[in-house]
Amino acid sequence: MSPSLRSRLAAYLLPAATAAALIVLWYVLKAVFQVPSFVLPAPHEILVAAWEERSFLWPAALVTVRGALLGFSAAVGVGFLLAMALGFSPRVKASLYPLILVLQMMPVTILAPIFVLWLGQGLPSIVAITFMIGFFPVVANTTMGFISVDRNLRELFVMCNATRAQEARYLRIPGAMPYFLTGMKIAGTLAPIGAIVGDFLAGSAQGGVGGIGYMTISYFSQLKTPALFATGLVACVMGFVFVGGVNWLHWRLLHLWHDSMVKKE
Amino acid sequence: MNAAPLVAIRGLQKRFGAGPLVLDGINLEVGQGEFVSFIGPSGCGKSTLLRLIAGLTSASDGLITVDGTPPEKAREKMFFVFQDATLMPWRRVAENVELPLLLRGDAPGHRRERVAQMLEVVGLSGAAEKFPWQLSGGMRMRVSIARALTVAPEILLLDEPFGALDEMTRDRLNEDLLAIRSRNSFTGFFVTHSVAEAVFLSSRIVVLGVNPGRVTAVIDVPFPYPRQSELRETPAFLRLLATTAHALRAVRS
Repeated sequence: MSPSLRSRLAAYLLPAATAAALIVLWYVLKAVFQVPSFVLPAPHEILVAAWEERSFLWPAALVTVRGALLGFSAAVGVGFLLAMALGFSPRVKASLYPLILVLQMMPVTILAPIFVLWLGQGLPSIVAITFMIGFFPVVANTTMGFISVDRNLRELFVMCNATRAQEARYLRIPGAMPYFLTGMKIAGTLAPIGAIVGDFLAGSAQGGVGGIGYMTISYFSQLKTPALFATGLVACVMGFVFVGGVNWLHWRLLHLWHDSMVKKE
Repeated sequence: MNAAPLVAIRGLQKRFGAGPLVLDGINLEVGQGEFVSFIGPSGCGKSTLLRLIAGLTSASDGLITVDGTPPEKAREKMFFVFQDATLMPWRRVAENVELPLLLRGDAPGHRRERVAQMLEVVGLSGAAEKFPWQLSGGMRMRVSIARALTVAPEILLLDEPFGALDEMTRDRLNEDLLAIRSRNSFTGFFVTHSVAEAVFLSSRIVVLGVNPGRVTAVIDVPFPYPRQSELRETPAFLRLLATTAHALRAVRS
């Protein structure tokens, strides 16, 4: 077996083995201490509950994904435009950045009821909460990217009599891409969490369908603990799908040229 | 000789903010087709002088004209080659070379043709589709020079372009630069630390002193172009090398 193949196998086998060991430990502890299932369900009970509740969990997951996607897109779009304004004009940055920080310091648990007051229970509030959680990392990173343009490259553009629009299009925006994608990665990790928290705080089952956060409350109040754990499982899967998507985009845009991606012999 | 010089500098002073004078009392006239090197110890303001000619920074006092106009108005006649290659890492070699033409608004067909020509001139036709990180330092500098040549500048300003390269690569690029100049004639301004490089390339060497930077010696280099690498071993070359080194040492003491 070649060393590279062995190290790649290890990358999959080691976490799998660790997970298997933890699951065994889980069963052992549950049996030894005779923990009832409404306190700690066994792993297979969680899977069974996920299957039995699929007619609720699947639509709930879709509702949450919708909230997460909308909030994430808004965070990325608004964040990028705002970062552009901040990065291109020191005056705008000086007047706006501290206020963005103030907004960022506001805990979501306080913002949530305010959003509910303004927007009502349901999707708009959830999207707003997801947006609030995701947009700061995008703004902070992307602004940094717009500011840290190579000085010589800027002078090169001056020597070419480039317009500001040309400088933005050919220099600043592509130069800020790695930073933007880093902000996007963080926002992507936070978006499903934001949507679930938003759903938890401002969700509703209008039209018969609540999100994952709403289901969590519902299962908790009914003490359906295996199903409660199953919502955690669904949230995990959703998070991985989200991060996977952003990672793919990151790879797609940078793998040919960026230092973090290219293989150097 | 034409009556009006291409670049004229009179009574030039430069200071940054309220700082001390970086350059003082610089007078220089450079005619079309000359190749002038600025040489001097660190901090003598030779790079600043080059940037002043490029219009990238402005004079505190005195006058610079390029073809009779202020440098900022003559940018389309000039191009600048920076100390490091200053390539855009996300653009392929050909796309980097293309940039000045793209910014100028040239048609795509013309751009492609011109880029191919210039890559051939610098011997990098095979590397057109590569990214900068895939090239050696010397190759990156060639790309930078090809990019400068695309716009066929009347004046080429080079700020220690080969300073970071090993001596063999540097000698090679010096010869190539002269070969390029014999075909794409331009007036050259060249900042360097290397006496040998200055003597080999220039028609005139301007030695600058420190605190503040001022012209302490101007040395004419009589060797005709085209110059070959063998020139470096001739007694006349070695004598001029010694003279220039002496002038440079006089500045330092």
